[in-house]
Amino acid sequence: MVDLTTDWLGLTLRSPLVVGASPLCDTSVAARHFVDAGAGAVVMHSLFEEQLIADQLAAHRFFDSNVDTNAEARSFLADTDVFAVGAGPTLDRIAALTDTLDIPVIASLNGVTPGGWTGYARQLQDSGAAAIELNLYDIATDIAESGDQIEQRQLRVVADVVAAVSVPVSIKLSPFYASVPSFVGRLATAGAAGVVLFNRFYQPDIDLESLDIDRRLVPSTAAELPLRLHALAVLHGRTRLSLASSGGVHRGTDAAKAILCGADAVQMVSALLEDGPAQLRRIHGELSDWLDGHGYRNLAEARGATALDNVANPHELERLNYAHLLQSWQPQRRGAR
Amino acid sequence: MTATLDANEAVASVAYRLSEVIAIYPITPASPMGEHADEWSVAGRPNLWGSVPDVVEMQSEGGAAGAVHGALQAGALTTTFTASQGLLLMLPNLYKIGGELTSFCMHVAARSIATHALSIFGDHSDVMAVRQSGFAMLASGSPQEAQDLAAIAHAATFSSRVPFLHFFDGFRTSHEIQKLTIVDDATLKALVDPAAIASHRERAMSPEHPVARGTSQNPDVFFQSREAANIFHDACPDAVAAAMDRFAELTGRRYAPFEYVGHPEAERVVVMMGSGAECAHETVEHLTAAGERVGLIKVRLYRPFSIDRFLAALPPGVQSVAVLDRTKEPGSTGEPLLLDVTAALVDGLAAGRFDDLPRIIGGRYGLSSKEFTPAMVKAVFDELDRPQPTRRFTVGITDDVTHLSLPVDESFDIESPEVTRAVFYGLGADGTVSSNKAAIRIIGEATDLRCQGHFVYDSKKAGSTTVSHLRFGPRAIRSTYLIRRAGFVAVHDPGFLERLDVLEVADVGATVLLNSPLPPDRLWDSLPIDAQRLLVDRSCRLFAIDAYTIAEDHGLARRINTIMSTCFFALAGVLPRDDAIVAVKQSVADTWGKRGPEIVRRNVDAIDATITQLHEIEVGAANATRRRRPAVPVGAPDFVANVTRLLLEGHGDRLPVSAFPPDGTWPTGTSRYEKRAIAIDIPIWEPDLCVQCNRCSMICPHTAIRTRVFEPEAAAAAPSVFRSVPEGYTSEFEGLSYVVQVAPDDCTGCGLCVEVCPAKDRSQPKRKAINMAPAVEHRERERESFEFYETIPHIARTRIPVESRTLALLPSLFEFSGACAGCGETPYLRLLTQLYGDRLVIANATGCSSIYGGNLPTTPYTTGPDGRGPAWNNSLFEDNAEFGFGIRLGVDVQEGRARLLLGRLASALPERLVGSLTAPCSGDADQVAARRTDVAELRSLVGGFDGSDADDAAELDRLADFLVPRSVWIVGGDGWAYDIGYGGLDHVLASNRKVNVLVLDTEVYSNTGGQQSKATPMGAVAKFASAGKETAKKDLGLLAMTYGHVYVASVAMQARSHQTVKAFIEAESHPGPSLIIAHSPCIAHGYDLVHSPAQQARAINSGAWPLYRFDPRRAAAGEPPLHIDADPVSVPMRTYMREEARFRMVELRDPERFDKLVHAAERAVADRHALYEQLAQIRLPRQEEPNG
Repeated sequence: MVDLTTDWLGLTLRSPLVVGASPLCDTSVAARHFVDAGAGAVVMHSLFEEQLIADQLAAHRFFDSNVDTNAEARSFLADTDVFAVGAGPTLDRIAALTDTLDIPVIASLNGVTPGGWTGYARQLQDSGAAAIELNLYDIATDIAESGDQIEQRQLRVVADVVAAVSVPVSIKLSPFYASVPSFVGRLATAGAAGVVLFNRFYQPDIDLESLDIDRRLVPSTAAELPLRLHALAVLHGRTRLSLASSGGVHRGTDAAKAILCGADAVQMVSALLEDGPAQLRRIHGELSDWLDGHGYRNLAEARGATALDNVANPHELERLNYAHLLQSWQPQRRGAR
Repeated sequence: MTATLDANEAVASVAYRLSEVIAIYPITPASPMGEHADEWSVAGRPNLWGSVPDVVEMQSEGGAAGAVHGALQAGALTTTFTASQGLLLMLPNLYKIGGELTSFCMHVAARSIATHALSIFGDHSDVMAVRQSGFAMLASGSPQEAQDLAAIAHAATFSSRVPFLHFFDGFRTSHEIQKLTIVDDATLKALVDPAAIASHRERAMSPEHPVARGTSQNPDVFFQSREAANIFHDACPDAVAAAMDRFAELTGRRYAPFEYVGHPEAERVVVMMGSGAECAHETVEHLTAAGERVGLIKVRLYRPFSIDRFLAALPPGVQSVAVLDRTKEPGSTGEPLLLDVTAALVDGLAAGRFDDLPRIIGGRYGLSSKEFTPAMVKAVFDELDRPQPTRRFTVGITDDVTHLSLPVDESFDIESPEVTRAVFYGLGADGTVSSNKAAIRIIGEATDLRCQGHFVYDSKKAGSTTVSHLRFGPRAIRSTYLIRRAGFVAVHDPGFLERLDVLEVADVGATVLLNSPLPPDRLWDSLPIDAQRLLVDRSCRLFAIDAYTIAEDHGLARRINTIMSTCFFALAGVLPRDDAIVAVKQSVADTWGKRGPEIVRRNVDAIDATITQLHEIEVGAANATRRRRPAVPVGAPDFVANVTRLLLEGHGDRLPVSAFPPDGTWPTGTSRYEKRAIAIDIPIWEPDLCVQCNRCSMICPHTAIRTRVFEPEAAAAAPSVFRSVPEGYTSEFEGLSYVVQVAPDDCTGCGLCVEVCPAKDRSQPKRKAINMAPAVEHRERERESFEFYETIPHIARTRIPVESRTLALLPSLFEFSGACAGCGETPYLRLLTQLYGDRLVIANATGCSSIYGGNLPTTPYTTGPDGRGPAWNNSLFEDNAEFGFGIRLGVDVQEGRARLLLGRLASALPERLVGSLTAPCSGDADQVAARRTDVAELRSLVGGFDGSDADDAAELDRLADFLVPRSVWIVGGDGWAYDIGYGGLDHVLASNRKVNVLVLDTEVYSNTGGQQSKATPMGAVAKFASAGKETAKKDLGLLAMTYGHVYVASVAMQARSHQTVKAFIEAESHPGPSLIIAHSPCIAHGYDLVHSPAQQARAINSGAWPLYRFDPRRAAAGEPPLHIDADPVSVPMRTYMREEARFRMVELRDPERFDKLVHAAERAVADRHALYEQLAQIRLPRQEEPNG
C-alpha cells in the first residue's frame, strides 16, 4: 500500500487530495463524506469581502432606506438584531468543521480593502482554520496601473496577512504574471508558505441575441491541466514554498501527473461537482493504484519526478518545445479555393 | 433610567413584560406595538417572570380578540394592541371579556373611525365605541404617561378584575418621541399583585375544576347577573387610585383618576383627556401665571366614571366648565365626555355639593389629528368668559356653514424661549426621520435636556415628504402641536423650495440649512424671490451643503441623513460640536453596526467630509425674479384651484367647512394637477431605435410614459420639441403617427420602462430606444412636449386591437398615483381602466391600493375624452368582496328596472331600437359604443313621451345608462383576500353574480409595513415570520376553482403581459364571478424593483408563481377547465429566492434553515404543479339539459 501522506504548508495531510475552495464542504455532513472518501484537507468556500460589502450595502438599502418613510409603515422588512451581514456564517462553518473533522480545514479569503484582508484573516484563524488561502484576484482594467504596481499591492497584502496571523498562508494565483517563478519568489520573501496554481475565473461570454455579457463559471476540464503541470514543473525545487495544483484534475492519473510535476497537494472542485465523495474515492483509488503499479512506495518518491530539474529532457518544458510545436503544426487545407 | 422612545415602544415594553400571550393584527397607528413585541419575542426576550411571550398575528382584529378571549379563559396573561376599525372589530369580544370580569389590559393608539372617509390619524372616535362594554378606560396624554399608565392599567386589572382599555392619541402620542424615565422590571414586579394573578389563573377553564361559562341566559336571570357585577365596577376607581398611589411610591410620578392643574380658585375650567390636555396644561400654566383664574381637569380614568372623584377634583367656586371631546357623535345632545361631566355636575348639585350649577359648554376639537394649539385653548377660555357662550362649539377649524367654530387668535404664542425648536423637511427615502430620531437620542443621552420629536408624513409612497419637528428644553415639553417658529430649519432637498413654503416656519434670526448641488457662490441667486425675501426679512443665516454629492462619493446613494444630521449638530449648538460629531459617529455604529463595518465606515467618512464642506452663504439682496412654481397649473378647474391647491401647498387647515362636500364625495382626475417633479432621471425617447412595442407604457407604474397613435395632421402645429414617427408596425394603424412621451413631472424615475425596452442600438447596445437621462437637462423640453401631447385627439378606441401589444395605446384612466416607484400593483389597475374604464365601478379594499388610489390631496382615477371613467369607493378592509357584491346587486336591480320600463314602452319605440337594446351586449368596445348610441337615441325618444307613459319614460330616461353593461371589479391586496376578507370573498365567489375580483398579491401586508399574510410564501421573512415562513402560501386560486363556476386566473404582468390581458378579458366576459390573482412586486420583497420583470420571470420559471387560467366555460364545452400557462422547470427555486432580501436574509442568518426552506418550497411547488397538471387533464362529464 502506498503511503500517501504529504506535507503541505507545514501541515501533515494523510492524502494529497484536497477539496478546493467551493461550497462542497459547507455542511459538516458533506465534509465528513469527503473525509471518508480520502480527502487530505478541505478548503472552505471563499470569504469574499466584496460579497460581504455588497450584502451589507444591499441590506442597508433594502432595510434601512425604507425605515421611517411612511406614516403607516415603520419599515417594510422584518429586521432583528439576530440578522447580521458579515463573516459570521463562514466563521461559524469553519468552527463547526474544525470541531468535527480530523483533517485540516483551510480558510479561503478574497479581500478588497487592506483592513478587510487582515481583519478577516485573523477572524478566520480564530475560528480554527489550520491555514489561510489568499485568493489574489485582480482584473486589470486601469490603463494607468502597471503590472508592477499591481504585484506590489498584492505583495503588501500577503505581507500584512502573514504578519497578522500565525497560521501558514498560501496564495492562490492566477496564471497571468509575466513571470510566475519570480512572483512566487517574492511571495516567499513576503512570508507566504505555499502557492496554489491556478485560480480560475468567471470568463465573459457574449450573448449574441441580447448583445450582453453572459457571465458563467464553466467547470474545469482535463484540458486545463497542462498549464498547471508546466508551472509546477518549473517551480519544483526552485522555491521552498509548498505547491498545490488547482484545476484540471479529474482522474487519479491527472493527480499523479500533478504530483510528478511537483505538487504537494492537489485541489479539486469541478471533478467533484457531479459525484461528490464517490468521485473523490475513485480518484483516490486510481492515484493509489497508479503509484503502486509504478513502484512508488510513498508520495515523496513521486513528487517532482518529472519537474524541470529531474526530467530527462528539460528543454521540452522550456520555450523550445513551443517553437517545435509551432513548426510542426501545419494549417489544414480546406478544399479547393 | 431614561430612554428616548415613542409611546408605542414604551407601552409595548410594559405590556410585553406583563404578558404571556399577545395576539394582534396590524393596524395604523398601533402596528409598531405588535411589531416590537414580535421582535422581542423572536430575540428571546423574557417577560417579567422569565418566559418568552407567544406573539401571534391573526387574520383580523376580530380573530385577535377571539384568540385573546380564549387565552384569557385558559388563564394566560394576555394583551393586544389595536386602533380604529380594528377596535370596532374587537367589540363583540370586549363585551364578553368585560362581562366575564376578566383581568386583561389592551392598548389602543386612538384613531379616527372611517366615516365619509378613512383617516389614519388620531382622535377618540374609536375608543368612545367601547365605553359601554364594561371595560375600564384609562387615557394618557404623553409618551411618559402612556408608559406609566400602561403599567398602572395592568396592575389595576388584576386587582379589580375589570378589563382595561388604555389609550393614547394616535401619532401625536403613539409616534412622538420623548425622553422617558423607564419603568423597570422591579417597579413592575412591585406593582402587580401576585395573589391577584394567581386568582386570575384559578378562574381559568380547567377540566380539573370544571365550570361552564358563556351560557345562554333567559329573562329570568340575565338582568340580575349583569347587575351582580356592579360591585366590581364600583370598586374599580379605588383600585386604579390605589395602583396610582403605589406607582407614585415606587417612581415618584403621581397620577390620579382626575387631575387638576391651574389656579386653586379657578373660575373657568376645561375638562378633557388625551394629548390635547398637555397643550391645555401648558396654556393654563401660562394664563395662570398671567393672573387668570383658569384651570384644567385631565381625565385619566374615563370609565368607570367616578362622579365623586370628579367633583372632588373640581376647584371650589368654579363658575363655568368647558368640556372638550376629540370625537363626534352626530345627532347627540353632546359628545360623550360632555354628557358625563354634565351628569356629574347635575348629580353634584342634586347631592348638595354646591349651590349653583356651573355653566357648562362643550366642544369638539382635534378630529383626525387636527392641530390643537394654546391659541385654541385660550379661545375656549375666552368663550367661557363671554356672557352668552356658545353651548356647543368646535375649535380648530373655520365653520362657515353651521357657525359653530370659535374664533382663534393665531398670534397667541406661548412657546418658551428656553426651548430649542428645529424643523426638518426631508424626502421619505433620504432617512431624515431616522436620523432625527437618532439626534434626539444623542441629545437625550448627552444632556439633561428634555426632548420631543414629532414626525409628519404626507400620503405618497414615492417621493414622500417628511417634516420632523424637534424640541429640546430644560423642562417637561407639553407642546403637543407642530412647531410654528423654529430657530433651525433644514431643507434636505432643494426641490422643496420650488413647491412648498418650507421657510415660513423660520423664526427671526433662524439658521437655515439647505442641501443643494450648486456651488456656494451661485446658491443665493438661484433661490426663488419668495425664499430670498423671507431670509432677508427674518434676518436668517443661511448654510449650504451638497449632501447628495458627499453621499454619492461615499457609496451611500441618496442616503444623506448622517450628513444632514452632522450639519445640524455643527450649526444648532445644542451640544459642543466635537462632542456631537463623536456622538453622531457612535450613533451610526450603534444603529448600523449590525449591517457590517462597511456601512459604518462609509457613514463615518461621510461625516468627516461633511464638516469641511458646510458653507455659510451670504444673505444678499432679495432681487430674484423667479417665483416658486404654483402648486397647480393656471387654468385648473375651480375645485382644484380653490381646494386642491391649498392641500398641495400644505394649507388645507385654512379651508373652511363650506369648501368641502359633506358626504366624502370627491372629484376624480386630480392627480394630473399635482406636479411633483420627483425624478432625478427621466426616460428620453430615441425614435430612430423604437420598435413601437409599447412595453414601456404597459409597465409604467405611474402612467408617466405614454404611447399613442394619432392622425398626422394633429401634430401639424406641434412645438419643435415634440417628436413623433410614422406608425410602422401595425397594419390597422397605417398612415397614423406614433409617439412615446414621458410626463416629466409625474415620472418617479424608477427605470422600468428602460429595463423592458427591447430595442437596442446595434453598435452601442447600452443605448436603447428609451434611456434614463438627467431630468434637469430635459424637464423643460419634455414638459412642453407633454403639454402638447395631451392635446392630441385620441383615435376611436374601436380602431385599437384589444391585444397586449396595442392595448397600451388605449387611454389610461388611472394616472400619476402616489404608489411607490416601481410598484407592481398599479400596472394592473391601469390595464383595467384601459379595458373597461368607461364603464368601470371599483370596490377597493383598504390597503396600498386604496391609499395610492384614493388618499387626498389628489386622486389618480380619471376620465376619458367623453367624461366617463371609473367610479371608485373604499368601504372597509374586511368587507370589500361583499361591498362590491352589493354594488353588483344595486346595478343589476336598476338594469332590471330599466329593462322592465323598456318593455313597457316598447310598443311606442322603434322595434329595431328595442331589439338592439334587449340583445346581449358583449362588452367589446364596438358593442358598447353601439349600445351607447342606442341609449342616446332612446333618451331622445322617451324625452318626448307624455300622457300615461310620461312617468315610465322619465324614469327610463334616468335609468337608461344601466342598459350599458357595467363592469364591477372588487380590488384589494392579499391581506384582504387571503386573510381578513376571505370569508366574504369566499361567499361572493360562491354566488353566481357577475363580479370580478382582482387580488394584487404582494404576498405581505404592504401598506402597514410587511406583516405576513397567508399569501406569504414559504421561506420568506416577514414581520411575524422573522425566521422565514414555515408554511406554504395559501392556494387561493385552487380554493376558488373547487366551486367549479368561478373563473380563476393567476397572472404576472411584468413578465407575461399577454397572458394577463387574456385573463382580464376572459374574466370580464365570464358570466359568473371571476378571480384574478396578480403577482405584484413590492418594495417589501427587498430588491431593486427595476429588476422586477426579470425577477418575476424567475418566479414563474421556478414555479414559485404559477400561471394559469381556469375557465368554467371550457368545462361546459367538454374540455379541461384549467389551462397551465407556464411550466416551472427552467430556474431553480434557490436562484429565484436568493434575489430577494426577504428570502436571502434567511440564508445569511441560517444557511441550513434556508436549505430546508428551499427544499420544502421546491417540494410544495412540485406538489402543486403535479396537482395542476392532473387538473389540466380533467374532462368533466357534460351535463345534458333536462328534457321538458
